[in-house]
Amino acid sequence: MAEVIAGGNLIITLYLIHFGFSLLAAELRNLRWSVLAITLQSLFLASILATFANIAANPSLYLWSLTALITKVMLIPYLLWLYIRQLPTAETRPWLGTIPSVAVMLLLVVFIYSFLHTNVEFIAPSLEAAVEPARSNLALSLTVCSLGLWVLLVRRDAAKAVIGLVLLENGVHLSLVTLAPTLPETTLIGIVTNVIITVWLLLYLAGRIFRTLGTTDTALLSELKR
Amino acid sequence: MMENLREVTSVLPILVFVVPVGAALLIFALGRMHRIFREALALLGLAVTFAISLVISGRVLSGELLTAWNGNLYVDGLSALMEVLGSALGIVIVLYATKYLPNHQIGLPLSPWRHTYFYGLLVLFMGTLNWTCATNSLIWMWVSLEATTLTSAFLVTFYWQRESMEAGYKYLLLISVGVTLALLGCVLIYAAAIPLLPGENLLHLTEIGNVARLMPESVVLVACAMFVAGFGTKAGLIPFHAWLPDAHAEAPVPVSALLSGIVIKIGAYALARTVTIFAPYYEAVVIFVAILASVSMVIGIVMALVQDDLKRLLAYSSVSQIAYVIEGLGLGTYLGIYGGLFHLVNHTIVKALLFLCAGALMYAAGSRKISELGTVAKKMPVTTFCFFVGALAIGGLPPFNCFMSKLTLFFALADREILWAAIIGIVTGMVTVACFVWAAFRIFWRKPAPTPNPQIAAKSVPFLMQVSMLVLALACILLGVFPQVLYPMLNAATDSILRILGAG
Repeated sequence: MAEVIAGGNLIITLYLIHFGFSLLAAELRNLRWSVLAITLQSLFLASILATFANIAANPSLYLWSLTALITKVMLIPYLLWLYIRQLPTAETRPWLGTIPSVAVMLLLVVFIYSFLHTNVEFIAPSLEAAVEPARSNLALSLTVCSLGLWVLLVRRDAAKAVIGLVLLENGVHLSLVTLAPTLPETTLIGIVTNVIITVWLLLYLAGRIFRTLGTTDTALLSELKR
Repeated sequence: MMENLREVTSVLPILVFVVPVGAALLIFALGRMHRIFREALALLGLAVTFAISLVISGRVLSGELLTAWNGNLYVDGLSALMEVLGSALGIVIVLYATKYLPNHQIGLPLSPWRHTYFYGLLVLFMGTLNWTCATNSLIWMWVSLEATTLTSAFLVTFYWQRESMEAGYKYLLLISVGVTLALLGCVLIYAAAIPLLPGENLLHLTEIGNVARLMPESVVLVACAMFVAGFGTKAGLIPFHAWLPDAHAEAPVPVSALLSGIVIKIGAYALARTVTIFAPYYEAVVIFVAILASVSMVIGIVMALVQDDLKRLLAYSSVSQIAYVIEGLGLGTYLGIYGGLFHLVNHTIVKALLFLCAGALMYAAGSRKISELGTVAKKMPVTTFCFFVGALAIGGLPPFNCFMSKLTLFFALADREILWAAIIGIVTGMVTVACFVWAAFRIFWRKPAPTPNPQIAAKSVPFLMQVSMLVLALACILLGVFPQVLYPMLNAATDSILRILGAG
């Protein structure tokens, strides 16, 4: 029992750090720092998976953790770095300034997390998913998803939008471990392979757009076209 | 009455997607040597795939369910219908593209590699489409559905112009975001199935259907909302449609025909495999889908009305027409599903026809603006005939194919006592007729502008392009006059969904 509580505390700590890096990845205006933040966020995602494997005595989750380590901590950041270093360091000025954006994001995060944590039964498909630490995990993963959606909504930079997509996908990935720890590894590999290819193609397109038009501002692209 | 089917292990569900994938790899390897390699290989690969799909259909109609890989692949009536439709459309599109692509160029002349990657990706896309239709796993269906987006993204950006790159970026980003939400829905349903289905095959759609009614209501509703948002994005349903007009407008015409013809239908297919399973048990799902579909119908056709760009008009019309399909599938009744699938088939044929006509007009005129096309249209009797067939068919007028499918849908809505949705559907149909007849009038009957665009110089449309259009136009007429021809396939497809529901 004491081990479970200790494991639970460790997971909560990892959640908080993971969450902090999610906020940084979303909000940092320097794209390279943002890539670093998303890399560390993914590293803590892999750590959470490994901790879950230990607590739940589920060896297959170690494989999940390893998969996350290879794909989300190595491959995706590598692709991000490869393409983003060809782009301007600072992202295109977003729709909202830094202070209002941070304020709205924090409000959003507090509201969504507390709402989901209080009403998790609404989306918890089983009793196990409604008790700690799964309860916090589920609320956190969906909050990270909402952060990703927020980035996609308010950011005009094509490369930053890719970081938003990675955040969204990492949130979904975290919900997988809570809700479906018995998912076959091959299926998981299928999912992450798709994500890697999507990120790669999007970054390639963002790079081509920049080389052709000299901008990655998606709003400006639309204006040019009309 | 559903007949008893027997499950038979077969290699066909594997071949139906491995063959096009293999053909695509050969095209990538050999396509640059000579056009004959890429074009002939594409046609051959799709022809073999079509033949396999026909054999599969024959076996399904004779009472078999084909499975492979321990039930992970599962081909029933609905899968067979989609596979036949996809590969047949693929053949028509490749035939058309062989003449269209080399002669209608935007920007720099296309290199052999660009042609190779066009045919390679197109055939690879067909492989991923058939994989989506053959898989029985909820999450592998998600994986393969996203693979269809990945394989078609660079077809949208084919010309690599500013507009096409923007369209491709939007297409890939928006669909990926939407589909990621659908993944969350898949995870919720999978997790809800764990306590209800102890043992293996938790991911199997057929098994999940067995316990659909036993899952917690709130979880099902949230998951269905995620499916509608995710797969609805792929289908181009409003308000998730933002990618669709740009992608359709900026892609090469054969790709536009592919997008409207089959790509958006994959979204509808995924909805049929997921949301439809739950529809009979949750009235809220039916009403939610009906509202969303009605909004999509109306806004789509209103947006189409105000377009001067012919391809954008057709794209917005697709937003409107796919809503009929999804509305029918969302009803969860025999008549609704039958009508939805019937319209899916008809819209595939009609919209592909209209896009190919638009391509012929663009080919001849070098413009896609309706106001500029009148200068060449009078010299194109075949295109004129085909466009009018398509315009009247998509409006739902008899004796063309969409008349019967729309009528079936209206009966299904009335039967389910959702009369307001039926009325919206009928009114939208009338506006669609007006929209297309008005467009046809502007293109084919109105006198050309006194100062025509000097860049426009009419050239004749190649025979093969005309044949492709005529085949589709003929299909619109024949399926309108003899709708019963499709009955066995549509009945088997409808039964395949109802069987899963009935098991629950």
